Amino acid sequence: MKAFLPKDQLPFLLEELGERIEVIAPVSTDAGPSFVTWQGQPLDLKDKPLTPITEFLLPHKEALFTYVQEAGRYIFKEEEIPSRLLFGIRPCDLHAIALLDRIFGREPPDQAYFRRRRATALVVQNCTSPGRECFCAGLEAGPEAKDPCDLQLTDVGDGFLCQAETPAGILILNAGRALLKPALPEHLQEKAKLLQEARRAMPQDRSCSQIRQAMERADWEALGRECLSCGGCSFVCPVCHCFNILDLGVPDGQRLRCRDSCMLPGFSRLTGGANPRRTPGQRLRHWYQEKFEDIPQITGLPGCVGCGRCHLTCPAAINRVDLTVASRFVDDSSEARR
Amino acid sequence: MEKVLTTCIYCGCGCGMFLHVDGGRIVGTSPSLAHPMSRGSLCIKGWLAADFVGHPDRLKSPLIRQGDLLIKTTWDEALALTAASLRSIQKEFGPQALGVLTSAKGTNEENYLLMKMARAALGTNNVDHVARLCHAPTVAALGFALGSGAMTGSISSLQSSDAILVVGSNTTEQHPLVASYILRARSRGAKLIVVDPRKTRLAELADLWLSPRQGTDVAWINCLLNIIVQQDLADRQFIKERTDGFIETLQATSAYTAEKAEEISGIPAADLVKAASIFGLASRGAIVYAMGVTQHFRGTDIVQALANLALATGNVGRDGAGVYPLRGHQNVQGACDMGALPNVLSGYQLLSSPQAQAKFVEAWGGQIPCEPGLTALEMLWAAESGSLKGLIIVGENPVLSYPHTSRVQKALKGLEFLMVSDIFPTETTALADVVLPAACFAEKDGTFTSTERRVQRVRKAVDPPGEARAEWEWICDLTERLGAKAEYSSPGDVMDEIASLTPIYGGISYERLGPDGLQWPCPTKDHPGTGVMHVSRFPHGRACFRPVLYLDPPETPDADYPFMLTTGRSMYHFHTGTMTRRTSLLDREVPTPFVKMNPEDARLMGIRDGTKVRVETRRGSISVEARLADGVHKGDLFLPFHFSEAPANALTAQSLDPVSKIAELKVSAARLKKEAP
Ligand code: SF4
Ligand code: SF4
Ligand code: SF4
Repeated sequence: MKAFLPKDQLPFLLEELGERIEVIAPVSTDAGPSFVTWQGQPLDLKDKPLTPITEFLLPHKEALFTYVQEAGRYIFKEEEIPSRLLFGIRPCDLHAIALLDRIFGREPPDQAYFRRRRATALVVQNCTSPGRECFCAGLEAGPEAKDPCDLQLTDVGDGFLCQAETPAGILILNAGRALLKPALPEHLQEKAKLLQEARRAMPQDRSCSQIRQAMERADWEALGRECLSCGGCSFVCPVCHCFNILDLGVPDGQRLRCRDSCMLPGFSRLTGGANPRRTPGQRLRHWYQEKFEDIPQITGLPGCVGCGRCHLTCPAAINRVDLTVASRFVDDSSEARR
Repeated sequence: MEKVLTTCIYCGCGCGMFLHVDGGRIVGTSPSLAHPMSRGSLCIKGWLAADFVGHPDRLKSPLIRQGDLLIKTTWDEALALTAASLRSIQKEFGPQALGVLTSAKGTNEENYLLMKMARAALGTNNVDHVARLCHAPTVAALGFALGSGAMTGSISSLQSSDAILVVGSNTTEQHPLVASYILRARSRGAKLIVVDPRKTRLAELADLWLSPRQGTDVAWINCLLNIIVQQDLADRQFIKERTDGFIETLQATSAYTAEKAEEISGIPAADLVKAASIFGLASRGAIVYAMGVTQHFRGTDIVQALANLALATGNVGRDGAGVYPLRGHQNVQGACDMGALPNVLSGYQLLSSPQAQAKFVEAWGGQIPCEPGLTALEMLWAAESGSLKGLIIVGENPVLSYPHTSRVQKALKGLEFLMVSDIFPTETTALADVVLPAACFAEKDGTFTSTERRVQRVRKAVDPPGEARAEWEWICDLTERLGAKAEYSSPGDVMDEIASLTPIYGGISYERLGPDGLQWPCPTKDHPGTGVMHVSRFPHGRACFRPVLYLDPPETPDADYPFMLTTGRSMYHFHTGTMTRRTSLLDREVPTPFVKMNPEDARLMGIRDGTKVRVETRRGSISVEARLADGVHKGDLFLPFHFSEAPANALTAQSLDPVSKIAELKVSAARLKKEAP
């Protein structure tokens, strides 16, 4: 089902939806855009929030269940999972979700992930004006959504071309029926044109195989000497998904799942104290190996969707995208990091 | 899901961050892209800053002592008991028998209210905080030399420096976001000189690494100044127009030839010459330093020597040129600014100034004592000798963080009344008569002031656990019970009073504090704040040189104690570890205490990585695991102080710097032996 939503009608559509389900949308704050529960705040559909939408499927910290001792026996309770509509997510993040579905869907499937995943509706916004850090085109993750989602929006100037792909998507559009106009062939042509331009505006040298070549050339120890082991790159990456489990509280408490990072030395430390990835350089090497060699072998897709967030958040003088040290900060001091 | 913009609780960088709140709990943290300094980055502690917030160990109700036990009570009873005990001590022994240790972890508003309570309600100037153990020498020496004890420029201005001299700071680990600007400057071609006995990461990246013997800093700094003047690289015009005391200083430093300095410090003369010409030739030279400079018994002299160097080269008052002290705690700058110090009121207004006195008396009512009070360690020694009877400690754990643990414990046990407010039970709350449960940074409103003088908002994201309360609330309550006025509707209200009484904060109000905060001095409501200080004039007019001379450290290795022990931090932990050791990932990184030693020393003693060893000084002994590290000099030992099971400060020396009263924490003579397996 296709339709056209004039721009000024968007808040009304969100209002309609917000009455039925918790809507998460990229709102504009004076410290940058971020995905939060929408309650009428102004939206920021231009810049991509630094924290990817995947935190709603794989939170940085989540209680898997609560355990309480009663009369000598343990009682376990799972938390309620809220139903949510994630609005305005980017094609790269959608591609990351498709990848997480494959990773967590391998036997046995990760129930905690899928409980959230099943309770989530996805509304994607195609990227007609990608950021300077973006290189999704080379990895075939964007700028147009290619993975399954419920509804796809494209900003074609004075409004959004809406394309529903699932029953949930049609329900979303039906909720805003009064606000919609019919989609015209021009809207489809405009969409194709804008996305073609967006694709061309992105760097052309960032395909999986080109990055593999850069990995061959990279001086990992020189890169590693600059790395501050902050873990930031893995905390903002929509594809990164490693976690740690711990029980907090005795005798009653919670089993928590917390995001972990392979950029920290303790992640690979062995029980005896030895560490196969002792230096930051070795850990960086491993990070790229996992994303561009191992995950592709396992899932058939590169483990990077080209969102460029790792580059935005890296405090060190490492260009996370082209794997050099010095090139960064020459041209991109504040604008690229906004 | 809600995201609340706030400021990091750990180091003085003051990074801006969002706390992600879902279902009334904090489920994540992320950096603010718009923050003028951190710009979308955080260090690992920052990424995990809120992890400890909902920890089950949190203190949840007020406790009072009954015999050996601490039992639950109500706020009313706890505060009534506190007020009555303080009152009776005050009556019997006078206000000088009372003291308050405030918290560099607390907000500006809380520090202000505590110093007000000490002065206006208790009638004592015995108020101090942990700055005594980190940057008191900075406040004293830079205050004298430059007229202000704070960082002269903004952290981000470091990226435009041409030469950066980093002294006694393991920046990549302790102030990672400052390091990121140093790395940026370096990738732009700036020269980097790192002076540290240990081969830190930054030392590996430096153009020049100088490795002095512990405690010999004055010698090599004087020598650099001497060479710079001899090579005619000094900024004569700046010296003439804006400073006093150069000639005397020059006379004093002329004895420090490269050869003499090599003999004292062990740094090769050729390297000293190289360093002097790099720094002397730079048009924008920055000096970055931290606790490796200040935590010495001559800390004030070392900071002054660095200030002399900056002044002689005209490196003050411009972007990328200046003196950059790096503060440890996120709000140690603010606690000092708020006058939580025994000799000044807020904004460093002297107690001895009649105008300041009159202004505060008018605002507060009552009287303010004029005599400067005791410093933190002096209070503890006064408690030991029995002249101090009642102490309030807020958010601090002196048993672990102050030198000479057993003596501190004894002093605290000797008190007639001890009240401690904290978020977790600590070695210090265990000794208290009253324990108050505090809200942590994510559970209250307020402001912190970062090491670059940036006043920033802290916002409440979730409710405190149980009956815990924001400290500003009980401080007001207690102040009123003690008979002084403290009616404030909110922390913003307190800030308005601070602004009205404190010229450097004069223009600051909550409405004006956006995501960039405001850098003081900000004297009026339309003032934009100050990035670079001292551009055309110093607060006290002209800057002051002061000659400083090298003295041997009070303790040097000898036959009985052949090692030189220094204490410090690990990048994964903070202070006494109460928060970071309850953050699972950080605890996973460094779960156990350790001592770092040179592999060659270890080999000679048959010690391997992980061998249990006993480290002893004349004051105590602890047992830890050995870690072999190439970066550590032969004969040196490095011990982090985060661990209660192996308290480094059981070992430390305690000679006080005569000016700032900081303790010698960096140099103790020690011996080490293998523990029986
Ligand atoms: S590796 Fe970097 S660019 Fe690729 S998906 Fe992760 S954060 Fe985005
Ligand atoms: S973001 Fe940069 S500094 Fe931080 S761990 Fe990743 S590569 Fe290292
Ligand atoms: S650098 Fe300091 S202020 Fe910034 S995140 Fe780390 S601990 Fe917090």
